[in-house]
Amino acid sequence: MQQQCEGEVNDFIRPIPSTIDLYEEGDLGSLDITKIGEYLEEKTHIPFRTRGDIYKRFSKKRIEEVSKELARIKVRDPGKRFVSGVPLQGEVDYEKRRIGDPSWKIFGILYEGVHYQKIISDLVFKGGVVFKYCLLLFTNQLFGTWDRNNNRYHARASLYGFPNLISITGLVEAPAKPKEFYLKKQIGTPVEWLKEEYQGTFLDHGDLRTTDVLKGYAMQALLFHITGDPFCEDRDCRFFNSHWQEEVLHSQLDSQYEFCPRHEKILKGLRERQ
Amino acid sequence: MAVKKHIFTPVSEKEVTRAIVDAFARQFIEYVESDCLIIGGGPSGLMVGRDIALKGVKTLIVERNNYIGGGFWIGGYLMNKVTVREPGQKILEELGIPYEKVVKGLYVADGPHACSKLIAAACDAGVKFANMTIFDDVVMREGNRVCGAVVNWTPVNALPREITCVDPIALEAKFVVDSTGHDACVVKKLEERGLLKTAGFGAMWVEQSEDLVVEHTGEAHPGLIVTGMAVATTYGLPRMGPTFGGMLLSGRKGAQVILQKMNPVVAKR
Repeated sequence: MQQQCEGEVNDFIRPIPSTIDLYEEGDLGSLDITKIGEYLEEKTHIPFRTRGDIYKRFSKKRIEEVSKELARIKVRDPGKRFVSGVPLQGEVDYEKRRIGDPSWKIFGILYEGVHYQKIISDLVFKGGVVFKYCLLLFTNQLFGTWDRNNNRYHARASLYGFPNLISITGLVEAPAKPKEFYLKKQIGTPVEWLKEEYQGTFLDHGDLRTTDVLKGYAMQALLFHITGDPFCEDRDCRFFNSHWQEEVLHSQLDSQYEFCPRHEKILKGLRERQ
Repeated sequence: MAVKKHIFTPVSEKEVTRAIVDAFARQFIEYVESDCLIIGGGPSGLMVGRDIALKGVKTLIVERNNYIGGGFWIGGYLMNKVTVREPGQKILEELGIPYEKVVKGLYVADGPHACSKLIAAACDAGVKFANMTIFDDVVMREGNRVCGAVVNWTPVNALPREITCVDPIALEAKFVVDSTGHDACVVKKLEERGLLKTAGFGAMWVEQSEDLVVEHTGEAHPGLIVTGMAVATTYGLPRMGPTFGGMLLSGRKGAQVILQKMNPVVAKR
């Protein structure tokens, strides 16, 4: 039996992908997908491809089908488990306009994340999941998942799986801002004022730091693809699962090191295999 | 002794009554059939009415209250300042409503000034009103197309049925607009008949709800255009807060949809 190096025994549970495919959905503002791809390649030696708008390769008929499916998975009440319903034609038309326009800017609907992932998975994998490619979709739409601990939906910045979904809107809306921000918002202080007062302490829409922050999230997606575990408990590691904006900014931009020793070793092992 | 001169011309009570009845009846008979019947005289309904009437569309707004303007007179928490976010201030400019910049992208105007100017703009454009008139039901034709509304006096609904057993009457129109706010009265009536299913509005998210409301504004059912906060109820969108740009722009989009459907060639000009 072949001897494995320490630290690798249970780490690589799936084949290392030959390529990382980076897809886009909607207007991603100043997000630089190529820079994220270059970062992934530098850290893992796995080549990447920027694939552009995820819907552009599909027929009008398929887009129509996807529009109907997306219109069914809106979370109407974050306090109740999602129930799929029959969408109104206006909702289907909205989805059709949205996914037919790569420069679409509007967001604000909370989609059921697991269903969203399934719809995209069925779209790109057709005949079943292929582990050969690691697929990442960067979207400006918002999705959430049900939290059993407090029985409600929570918006998410990322949802790892096949494919991986990373939301630039979720990155702004999901990790909590400073507590004082919400307290002042509750008493009616306009959000525009609060954004000025707390500028810099959280990521906002169109924030120029987004690309650098999402390099870490893209790494988490790749780590999930290979090891099944995208997170680290060390808040100085880019694999840290941040719940507060403060933690996002710290673990992705201001930490002592990029990756903790354990994950650095995994990445080194990955590079050596390539 | 000198005879005291009247300031006003003497007119008898009966002449005053005749003038009211005659003017009301003439207008009402004329508007029993219109091009567009707008249910709800709030900001989005007024905006639809103003924009289409400017293009010569015969428009009647039905309002259940005595006063027109809905919630546009006051902002949140009974404070009479109304806020709009960029680009809503462009409509304020267009209507000649003074406003101040609060921070980048947020503007505040005086509620009474803004509301009265919008009402005046709708009147100047040629919109007519049936106030103190409450929506009761829809009129439908072949293919379940909405082509009018059944209405009654508001006080009839407010009094005990034993003394107000008054049948409603019907008004016909090429298009009906539901601009009844979160109640979405017209849409709900279709829901009662199983013709569509509303989702109810979600939690308040001012930043995003305005975009979504404008984007979803349009024909929700053949012959029925939905605007303003009724859009949020129809499609289960986040609830709008005390900010009005979305309602003004939703009204404008509703008007564009109507004009496009009535006369695609004219609307493109």
